[in-house]
Amino acid sequence: MPVYCVSDSDEKTILRVRDFWTSLVLIATSVFFLWKTSAIPLFGENRAGVSGADWYTSAAIVPLGLFSALLFLSCVLLLHAIRSGGASRAFSAIGIGWNAADVHRVSAIAVIMVGYIAGLVPRVDFIVSSGLVITALIFGFRGGTPQRMRLAALSVAGPAIFAFLAYWPQSLWTAKGDDWIALAVWIALTILIFRDAGTDKVHRFLPLIAVLVPLILVCAMAFGFRQNVPARGGLIFAQIEYHYYVTLRPIWRE
Amino acid sequence: MDFVIGQLAGFGGAFWVLVSDPLSYVYIIPAVFLGITFGALPGLTATLAVTILTGFFGNKIPLDYALIALLGAYVGAIYGGSYPSILLNIPGTAASAATAMDGYPLARAGRGGEALGLTTTASFIGTVIGTLALLIFVWVLLLISKNIASPEKALLALFGILLSGTLMSEDLVIKGWMSGLIGLSMAMVGLDPLLSEPRYTFGWSYLLSGFQVVPVLMGAFAIPQIIDGMRHASLGQMAVLKGRILPNIATVKRYMPTIGRSGVIGTGVGALPGVGEDVAGWVSYGVGKSVSKDGNTFGKGSLEGLLSSETANNACIGGALIPLLVLGIPGSPPAAALMGAFKINNVIPGPTIAPEIIMRVVAILLLASLTMFVMGLFTARVFIRILRIPQTVFLPVILVLTTIGSFSVGGGINDLYLMLGVGFVAYFMNLMKYPIAPLVIGVILGALFDETFRRSLLLSDGDLSVFVSRPGAAILLLLNIALILSRIPAAKRVYGRLKGHVT
Repeated sequence: MPVYCVSDSDEKTILRVRDFWTSLVLIATSVFFLWKTSAIPLFGENRAGVSGADWYTSAAIVPLGLFSALLFLSCVLLLHAIRSGGASRAFSAIGIGWNAADVHRVSAIAVIMVGYIAGLVPRVDFIVSSGLVITALIFGFRGGTPQRMRLAALSVAGPAIFAFLAYWPQSLWTAKGDDWIALAVWIALTILIFRDAGTDKVHRFLPLIAVLVPLILVCAMAFGFRQNVPARGGLIFAQIEYHYYVTLRPIWRE
Repeated sequence: MDFVIGQLAGFGGAFWVLVSDPLSYVYIIPAVFLGITFGALPGLTATLAVTILTGFFGNKIPLDYALIALLGAYVGAIYGGSYPSILLNIPGTAASAATAMDGYPLARAGRGGEALGLTTTASFIGTVIGTLALLIFVWVLLLISKNIASPEKALLALFGILLSGTLMSEDLVIKGWMSGLIGLSMAMVGLDPLLSEPRYTFGWSYLLSGFQVVPVLMGAFAIPQIIDGMRHASLGQMAVLKGRILPNIATVKRYMPTIGRSGVIGTGVGALPGVGEDVAGWVSYGVGKSVSKDGNTFGKGSLEGLLSSETANNACIGGALIPLLVLGIPGSPPAAALMGAFKINNVIPGPTIAPEIIMRVVAILLLASLTMFVMGLFTARVFIRILRIPQTVFLPVILVLTTIGSFSVGGGINDLYLMLGVGFVAYFMNLMKYPIAPLVIGVILGALFDETFRRSLLLSDGDLSVFVSRPGAAILLLLNIALILSRIPAAKRVYGRLKGHVT
C-alpha cells in the first residue's frame, strides 16, 4: 500500500500508530463478541425441556477460545504499539499516514461501490447500472483529478440515493423510474466524456466497453448458465428476456 | 513397482478421456489465456483469476469442466506474472517478484526474448514436476491420512492457519495470526456444525448458513485490489523485446539441474499448508543464490536466478494441491479459491475424496501446462500488447465481473453486501499490513476446526489428553507450539541460553 513521501522510520511510526488504533478496535470487538458468546449455553443448560450438551461440545467453546485469543493478541499489539511510540503520536498529523489526495480517492471509490451494490444493483437494470459505474470509474480515475473523481462519485451516488429512497421496499424494486434516471445520468456522462475525449483512445472506446461488458455478462449468466441475475425486470434486460423467449427461441425451435 | 504402474495407467486413462473430449479445449484454451492475461496485468493476481472463475463456473457447469477452467487459469496466471517482471520490472503477481530481479536486467541487456523463452520452458517443466509429485505423493499421503482422526484434523487446520499467518506477514507476525483468528471467528457465524445452535446471526436469517465462501473470496481478494489500483499511474519504460522467444535446447539442457532443483523446492514449499507461490519463488531464488557458483551474478541478469524463481512458482501449484486434496487444507491462496469451488459443488476434499477427481486434476494440470507452453512460445507478443492496457480500464470491468459472479452463486443480494463488507475490511487490513490469505484460509477451515476440535473432546469425554495421546496429534501439537514459540522473542532468548549451556 503506497504511503507517499515518507521515510522508512516514518513508515514504521505510521504503522505503530495504526496498530494502536486497530488494536483498540479489535479489543472492543473481541469484548463485544465474548459478551455475545456468553449468551450461548456453555454448561449443559436445558432448552425447552431438553438437556443441553456438556461444556466440551458446547457451541460456545471454540468461539470463546478464538475471541479470547484475539483479545490477548490485540492487547499484545497495543502494548507493542505504545512501547514503539504509537500512542504518543496517535493524534499527530503523521498518525493516520494518509494524505488528502488518497483519502479523497478512496472515499470516491467507496461511494461508487456502496452506491452501485446497495442502491443500483438490486433496483436498476444491470446493464444500465454497470454501464454507468464502468463509465464513471474510468472517467473519474483515469485522469486522476479530484474534480473528475467528485463528478464520478456524484453521478453514481445521485441515481443510487434516488433508487434507494424512492424504491426502498423490495416490492418496488421492479419499478422503472430509477432505471430512467440512471440511464439519463449515464448518457449525460458519456456526452461529457466525448466532448473532452480529444485524442484519448480509451475515452473514445469507453461507451463500447460500458455497454458490451454488462450486456455479455448478464446474457451469458441468464441464458447460457441459466442463473439468476440482478434486477431481472430492469428496463433493458426485461426487453432482452422477452425477445429471447418470445421472438428468438421459437425461431430456432422450429 | 505395481503401485507406479497402476498410477501411470490410471493417469493415462484420465488424460486420454480429457484430451479426447473436444469440450476440454473449449474450456482450457480461454482459461489459460485468461490466466496469463490476469498474471500479466499488474494489479490482477492468480488468486483473483481463480476466484472470479469460481464465481462464474463453480456451480454452473459440471465440476469436471469447472476444474479445467479453474486449474487452467491458475497455471496460466502464475506463469503470466513473468511478463511484466521481465519487461517492466513490475511483478504481475507476488509469485513473480523474484523473477523481476534478473528478468528486467536481462531484458534491458537485449535478452528479453531469451528470458521469456526460458521462463516459459522453466514454468512448463516446473508445473510438470509439481504434477508428478502430486500424482505420487497424494496417494501415499491418502493412505496415511486414512488414520487421521478428529484431533489430528483440528491441529492440522490450526497449523495451516498459523503457518500461513507466520509466513505471509509483512510486518509483525502476530498480525498474521490475528488475521487467521479473524477468519476463524468469521467461520463461527451461523448454525454450529454439531448442535445446530445459532451463533452471531443477529436475527438475520441469511446468516444462519454462515458466511458463504465465494463472496468472502471475492471481497477479500478483488475489492482491495480495485480500491488500491484505481489511481492514475504510468506503466514506466517497457523494455524492448529483442531476440527469438523459442528457447535454445542446449541452454535448457545446461540449466536442467537448476530447473530440477527449483521444481523440487517449489513443490515442497507448495505442499506446506497455506504457503503460496511467492514464498516458493523467493525460497528457491535464495537457495539458488547460495548453492550456485555464479551466485554473485544473481540480481544482475542471471539466467540461473531467473529460472530458480520461475520454475519454483509453477511447481508450487502441484504441491499446493497435495494438502488440498489429501486433507482439505489449501496449500496456497489460489488453492483456497479452488477449495471454494469444491465446497459449492458439495465435494469434500480429504481422505474420502473420489480417486477419479484426483486423476482428473492431475490430467488437467498436465494439459494446462502444455497449453501454457504453446501459448507462451507462440503468442507472447499478444500478451505484451495486453500489458499496455491501463488498470483504470480493466479494474471497473473486474468490479462488474465480481458483482455478477458473487450474486449468481446463490445468496443473491445479501452475498453482495457480504462481499462489499469483507472487501472494505480486507482493504483496511491491507493498509495496516495484515495479510489477507490467513483470513481466507481461516474462513474456509473454521467449520472443520470447530467440528473436529469438539468431536475430539466428545469422543474423549472432555479429556484434553486426546490431543497428545495419539502420536500424530502429539507431533502436530508440538509443531503448533514450536511455531508459536519460535516467534516469541522471550522464548527465543531462553532457547538461546539453553543451547549455550548444552554446548
